[in-house]
Amino acid sequence: MKDALMEKMRKRIEELRKLPGVSNKSIKEVLEENGISRRDFLKWAGALAVTLGLPASFAPVVAEAAEVSDRLPVVWLHLAECTGCSESLIRTDAPSIDDLIFNYINLQYHDTLMAAAGWQAEENYEEALKKFAGRFILCVEGGVPTKDGGEYLTIGPEAETGLEKLKRTAAKAAAVIAVGTCSSFGGIQAAYPNPTGTVGISKVLNKPVINVPGCPPSAKNIVGTIVYRILYGALPPVDNLNRPKWAYGLRIHDLCERRGHFDAGEFVEEFGDAGAMNGFCLYKVGCKGPYTFNNCSRERFNQHTSWPVQAGHGCIGCSEPDFWDAMAPYEEPLADHKFMSVNADATADKVGVTILTLAGVAIVAHAAISAIKPPKE
Amino acid sequence: MKFLKIMGEYLGGIEFSAGYRWQHWIRAISIFALVATGFYLANPFITFANPSPTPTRFLHAEIREWHIIFGFAMIGAVLYKTIYFFFFKEAKYERESIKDAFNIKLAIQQIMYYMLIAKHPHTRGIYNPLQFWAYTMLYVFFYGIIITGLALYAEVYHAGLGGMLYPFAKAVESFFGGLAYVRLWHHIFMWAIIIVVFIHIYMAVYNAVFGKNGGMDAIFSGMKWEKEE
Ligand code: HEM
Ligand code: SF4
Ligand code: SF4
Repeated sequence: MKDALMEKMRKRIEELRKLPGVSNKSIKEVLEENGISRRDFLKWAGALAVTLGLPASFAPVVAEAAEVSDRLPVVWLHLAECTGCSESLIRTDAPSIDDLIFNYINLQYHDTLMAAAGWQAEENYEEALKKFAGRFILCVEGGVPTKDGGEYLTIGPEAETGLEKLKRTAAKAAAVIAVGTCSSFGGIQAAYPNPTGTVGISKVLNKPVINVPGCPPSAKNIVGTIVYRILYGALPPVDNLNRPKWAYGLRIHDLCERRGHFDAGEFVEEFGDAGAMNGFCLYKVGCKGPYTFNNCSRERFNQHTSWPVQAGHGCIGCSEPDFWDAMAPYEEPLADHKFMSVNADATADKVGVTILTLAGVAIVAHAAISAIKPPKE
Repeated sequence: MKFLKIMGEYLGGIEFSAGYRWQHWIRAISIFALVATGFYLANPFITFANPSPTPTRFLHAEIREWHIIFGFAMIGAVLYKTIYFFFFKEAKYERESIKDAFNIKLAIQQIMYYMLIAKHPHTRGIYNPLQFWAYTMLYVFFYGIIITGLALYAEVYHAGLGGMLYPFAKAVESFFGGLAYVRLWHHIFMWAIIIVVFIHIYMAVYNAVFGKNGGMDAIFSGMKWEKEE
């Protein structure tokens, strides 16, 4: 069973290896240039194998998959977004293996990274669609504005709407991956009042979309999804919101190092207090880890160095749908969520107490009148 | 009411069976316990500024445990009452109330009674129309809080019952638009229940004071009494 699976994966990798790569260097050389040894690379591959739910003995296969990742053509579209997802992957001063592999993949088209510009870029794009039709992976960064026919986002000299471009490209893609919360769920442009009618891309496409949300998503989740696709030739199993289960199967809270303090009822009351110094739980200063599915608490950022909760600020739920609205205010517990009302800061508790008070006043009045003038029998 | 028989000078009969009374009080106690523990879970107001970096007293976990114990007690009571209402023989006069519930004239007279300008109307069932609709809403809130509560439970405890409920929890999360909204709605349902319970207690006392038919007593003893007319 295990051997058969490994055999299958090796075959897929061999097929990819036959395709022309784009990089003139092998991944080995790229890693070496960045001071990463073969040993570190295999360690990384072993860890990723386990993360993807494979036995550690699959490390060499995962390493091979990463090595041929420059064969798998990727088209990267930018829709309504801030480019933060791409930036976070390429701007790090100490790139992790994930970052390096991300840079290594066969990016046929990427607005911010490619050398081409203007008409040449347009041509490259059409070329890639033709040449790799039915074979390329489409990664989309950014939500898609839909109001008024999608005209709040137009791209290129023909002023094609993002909506059209997305649909046209997705139709030819072998698989579609939504990178980041904007393309997964709409993100900040879809936050209230969402003037451009922005939605996540899965809402306008009629093919399966794998969501890799996060603001930004961790490099491991993006690269892992791509490596998974190379290994299995299919997209990974997903949760109810189409997020790969291997990355988004558990809540931040389930694997948080401060969880013991949560259960103990030991909370930071305000930033910088004694509790904060003791590493207490950040729930009362707004941690949304209990409502957020992601693997930051396990995988962390910057070569596994740290992550927001370790640094002392709560999770803001960046990989959840609608998080700009749903998780606000970010530094108070969810129970302080402000509802739209005449009184801009009405929480459920305030509204509840107000209604209860009104009911109380009415009851006292009713009781008093009834005492003077009893009801008819 | 038809179930009353002559008993001495009064008409008397069992209004609430033993099972009915048990579920009512289990439900009532659970609601109070759940509201108290729920407020703590929403915003833990008792905390330890324990200087030890290793947690030792698991206060939040304990309170969550009690919340869940009473949560399941309440689920039992609510399910019992739902089945009772639809299928039990004794619930005949409860079901009769459905017919009264759509009688607008009766509803108006009931409002006039509370406004102290008309007599209490004669109803076929044991609930007057206003009462019937208030209780119907209460059960909507009960099921709302139970469904969201079970989803939260499955996300905290992944094994055993939680594991069995996990696919259900995921469906609930999709319906509400994410776990954060499930939690927000759980909190909102709590307030809806608090308000209905508050008014319910007032009405029960009111009827005991002015109704003079042992209406309040019945939920303890089961017996209802009416003067022979
Ligand atoms: C009258 C009934 C209930 C009331 C008033 C109530 C109230 C609450 C409140 C206020 C919270 C905190 C929500 C927030 O953060 O804003 C909560 C959390 C919770 N409730 Fe309930 N609840 C009730 C019934 C239930 C039931 C039936 C269950 C199911 C077993 C349940 C399970 C939970 C769980 C698991 C949590 C989350 C605890 C955690 O995250 O640590 N509740 N409840
Ligand atoms: S810091 Fe956040 S994620 Fe960690 S235990 Fe506390 S509430 Fe949960
Ligand atoms: S800890 Fe929370 S807010 Fe921070 S990156 Fe992870 S999911 Fe997003």
